[in-house]
Amino acid sequence: MTYARPLAHKLVPAAAALAAALVLSACTPATSTTENSADDGTPVTGGTLVYASGDAEPSCLDPHVGGNYPQALVASQYLETLYTKDAEGKLIPWLAEDSTVSEDGLTRSVKIRDGISFTDGTALDAAAVKANFEHLLDPNTASSTGYLALGKIASMTAVDARTLELKLKTPDNSLLESFSMPWVAIESPTALKRSQEENCAAPVGTGAFKIASWKKQEAVNLVRNEGYVRPVASSTHEGPAYLDAITWRFIPDAATRYAALQSGEVQVIDNAQPDAIATATKTATLKHLDAPRPGASNRIELNSSKAPFNDPKTREAFVHAVNVNASIDSLFFGTAKRSYSPLSSVEPLAYSDDSLFDYDPAKAAELLDAAGWTERDTEGYRIKDGQRFSLTFPVSTSQSIPAEQSIFEQMQATAKDSGIEIKINLLDLSSWYGDLAKNNYNLVSAPYTKVGPSVLSILFHSDSTIPAPSGYFANHSQVKNPALDALLTTAGSTKDEAERKDLYTKAQKLVLEGYYLLPLYDQQNHFLYSDKLKNVGATTAVASPLFFDAWLSN
Amino acid sequence: MSTSTALTPRAPSLLGASVRWLLGKLMGGIFVLWAVATAIFFGIRMIPGDPAEAIMGGPGSQASAEALAAARAHYGLDQPLIVQYGRQLKQLALGDLGTSYSLKSPVVEVLGELVPPTLILASLALLVAWMMALALAVFSTRSGVLASAVASGLEIVSAAVPHFWLASVLIMVFSSMLGWLPPVSTNTAAGLVLPVFTLALPLAGFLGQVMRDTMMEAQRSAFALSARARGESETGILLRHSLRHAALPGISLSGWALGSLLSGAVVVESIFARPGLGRSLLSAVTARDIPLVTGVALLSAAAYVVIMTVSDIVERLADPRIKQS
Repeated sequence: MTYARPLAHKLVPAAAALAAALVLSACTPATSTTENSADDGTPVTGGTLVYASGDAEPSCLDPHVGGNYPQALVASQYLETLYTKDAEGKLIPWLAEDSTVSEDGLTRSVKIRDGISFTDGTALDAAAVKANFEHLLDPNTASSTGYLALGKIASMTAVDARTLELKLKTPDNSLLESFSMPWVAIESPTALKRSQEENCAAPVGTGAFKIASWKKQEAVNLVRNEGYVRPVASSTHEGPAYLDAITWRFIPDAATRYAALQSGEVQVIDNAQPDAIATATKTATLKHLDAPRPGASNRIELNSSKAPFNDPKTREAFVHAVNVNASIDSLFFGTAKRSYSPLSSVEPLAYSDDSLFDYDPAKAAELLDAAGWTERDTEGYRIKDGQRFSLTFPVSTSQSIPAEQSIFEQMQATAKDSGIEIKINLLDLSSWYGDLAKNNYNLVSAPYTKVGPSVLSILFHSDSTIPAPSGYFANHSQVKNPALDALLTTAGSTKDEAERKDLYTKAQKLVLEGYYLLPLYDQQNHFLYSDKLKNVGATTAVASPLFFDAWLSN
Repeated sequence: MSTSTALTPRAPSLLGASVRWLLGKLMGGIFVLWAVATAIFFGIRMIPGDPAEAIMGGPGSQASAEALAAARAHYGLDQPLIVQYGRQLKQLALGDLGTSYSLKSPVVEVLGELVPPTLILASLALLVAWMMALALAVFSTRSGVLASAVASGLEIVSAAVPHFWLASVLIMVFSSMLGWLPPVSTNTAAGLVLPVFTLALPLAGFLGQVMRDTMMEAQRSAFALSARARGESETGILLRHSLRHAALPGISLSGWALGSLLSGAVVVESIFARPGLGRSLLSAVTARDIPLVTGVALLSAAAYVVIMTVSDIVERLADPRIKQS
C-alpha cells in the first residue's frame, strides 16, 4: 500500500526505496507500485471520477454481508476500518487509536479514536464498534469473511465511551490484521438497525465519500463526505476529499472496459488484463497501478489425499515436469512476477524458495521411475498397476483469468512430455466448488485474500480439511501433518513477534518442501487509469484503492 | 402457423369459433408457462451449487452452519423438494414471483426495472433489422442478378456472425479506432447505436433472406404480370404489391425474432455493460438465483406466447385462407 505524496516530500524516501529496490530486485517480490509523474501540480477540487469495475456487481454494498473482494473495493470508499497498513506494509491504527493485550493473550482492549462521526451524524464510540462486531457475528447478517475473522471473540464489553474490551476463546495474534480488512469495517450503529435490505442499499460509514444512490446494473453513485476531518496518517492532505463524486460502474467485459478507459468515458478500470496492461504502459495518457493482494499467492494445490499425489515423489515429479516460467513470461507480458512462496509478496513474513521449482524433465522422469510409474501406454502416458498418471484439474472460469487458463493449457502440454496427463475442466464457480466438495480433483487453483500470515492456518492446518456445512474447505492440498498443525497453532497465538516469524517460516518451508503447492504469482490486482487522475496509489490493507487524495486535472 | 385451428371443428358461428380458438391459445399459453416454471425449478437444481450459498454471498463463501441454516429457513430451502415445488407453483399462480436471492428485492420489482431498457434495445434492433432487410430486398430485386448475389452473400455472412464477435469488432472500430461512439451503452442516443446494430445485423441477415425470396417470387407471379399489363411501373409493382408479400413471412417470423433478440441481449447487454433482462439472467444463473431465473424465463415465455398469438390473429385477419384450412 503506497500513499502518493507530493514529490518534494517523497524524494528522499523514494530515492532510498529505489536504490533498495535495485539491490533487492533479484530476490524481493514486487510490492505495489505506481508511476507518479513529476508534474502532478497543485490539487484541484471538483469533478466526478468514473470507476469501471470488472467484478460482478455486489448484491449488497455492506461488506459485512457475505464478504467478497468486489464489496471490499467499493466499500473502501465509504467505510473505514479500525486498523490499516501504511506504505511500508506496517499495521497502523485508523479508527482505533491503540490496542493492548493481556499477558495470557485472552483479553484485548481497543481504544477508539475521539471526535469522529458517521455520515448520518452518529458518533463513533466503543458501543458503535461493539454493535458492528455483534452485527458481524449474528447469523442473520450472513457474514462469512468477517465472521471468520472475528471467530475467536467470546464476549465484548464497552468499558467506557472509547474503550472496547474483547474476551477471546484462544489467543489470536492476527486480530488487529483482521481489523484492517474492509469486511470488518465499522458502520453507523444507527444505520445497522435498519432492515438488511435498506442497509445493503446504502451502508453508512465514516469514509471520505458516502453513498448517494445505487442504480443496479448501472452505477453506485458516491458523493464527497463534506464533514470528513481525519484522514489516515499517511494521507497527503487534511479535510474533505478533492473529488466531488465517484461514479462506480460495472463493465464486465474486459475489452469494453479498456475501450471505455481509452475513450475517456471512465478514468479508472480494475481487473486490467495482461494484454491491456502491456498496451497501456506504452500509452502516454494511461497509467498503471500494480497492487498485489495480501494473503496467499496464486498457486496450484496438489491434492495429497489420493493417488497419485499421496506419494510425495509424484508431487515433486509433477512440479519439475511443468514449465511455468516460460508460460508466465509469454502470457503475462512481464506483468506478473513468478512467486516461490505460499504467501503474497506483500506479506512481510512470506518465505520463498526458488530452488525447489525448476523445470527439469530429467529429474521428473527419475522421480516417476522411482515411484513405480515405469511403464507407458500407447498414448505415451505413464502407467502403474494399469492406471494412467492422470490428473483432474477443475478450473473456475471466474477465478482464473484467460491468461491463467492458457498457462494451465501450456502446463498440460509440457507435462505430456513427461508422460503426465492433465485433464482441464473449465467450470462456473458453483460447479467448481461442487467438484472440490466431492474430492474430484488432483490439481486446483484458488485465490485467498486475507491480511497477515494467519492465512497459512486456513490453507494448511488439518482442521481446514473438515468441510464447512456447505461442503467448502480451504485446505485444498489436504495436508494433514501434526507437526505442521502445531507450528501453525503456536504461530497464531504467540505474543513474541520473532517467534511468530520463525514458526511461520518453518511452516512455509514444510509445505513448500513437501510439494503440496506450486506457487505461480501474487494474486494479480492491476488498475489502469487516465493520467488526468492524479495522486492515485493509496490502498487499503487488502490493496483496494482509496481516492481520498486523488484529484482530476482539466 | 396455427396448428390448433386445424383441430377445431367448423363452428356454427364465426364468433364462437374465435372465442374457442382464443381459449385454446390461452390454455396452451398457461401450459407453456407451467412447463417453463417446472423445467427451471428442477433444471437449476440439477446443476451443482447450493442456493443457500448463493444467498450467502456466493459459492464457497465459508458461511457458517448457523448462517446457512438461517438462509435456508428464511427462503424455505430446508423443505422437501416437492413441497418447495408445490409452494412455488401456488405463489406463481397468485402472481407472486418471490424475492431474488442475490438482489434481495421482489422479483416483480427487479423485472419492472429491467424490462424497459431491454424492450427499448430489442424494439430498436427489430426496427433497424426490418429496415435493413427491406432495403436490401428492394435493392437486390431492382438491381439484377449481380446485386442479388451480393445481397445474398451479405445476408448469409451477417446472419452467421455471432453477437460477441460483432460487438467486439464494432467497439474496436467505432470506439477505439474512430472514437465516434461510446463503447459503454447508456440511454443516450449515441450509447444505443452499437448495441442496436450488434443485435440488428444478424437478424437483418435472416429476415433479408426470407423477404428477398418472397419478393422475387411475387415479382414473377401472375398478379405482377397483370399489373405490368395494366401499365404499372416496376417500382409501383414492387412497392404496391411485392413488398406486402415480402412482409408477411417477416411478420410470422417475429416470434422467432423475439427469441433471437432475447438471447442476443444476454451477450450484448454484458459486453456493452447495459442494464437489462439478458445481463440479469446471466448473473442470476451464475448466482443460482432461482426466483430471478424463473422470473426472467417466465416473462420471456409469456412474451413469446403473446407475440405468437398476436401474429396468429394478425394472420387470420389478413389472410382468410388460414381460417378455412
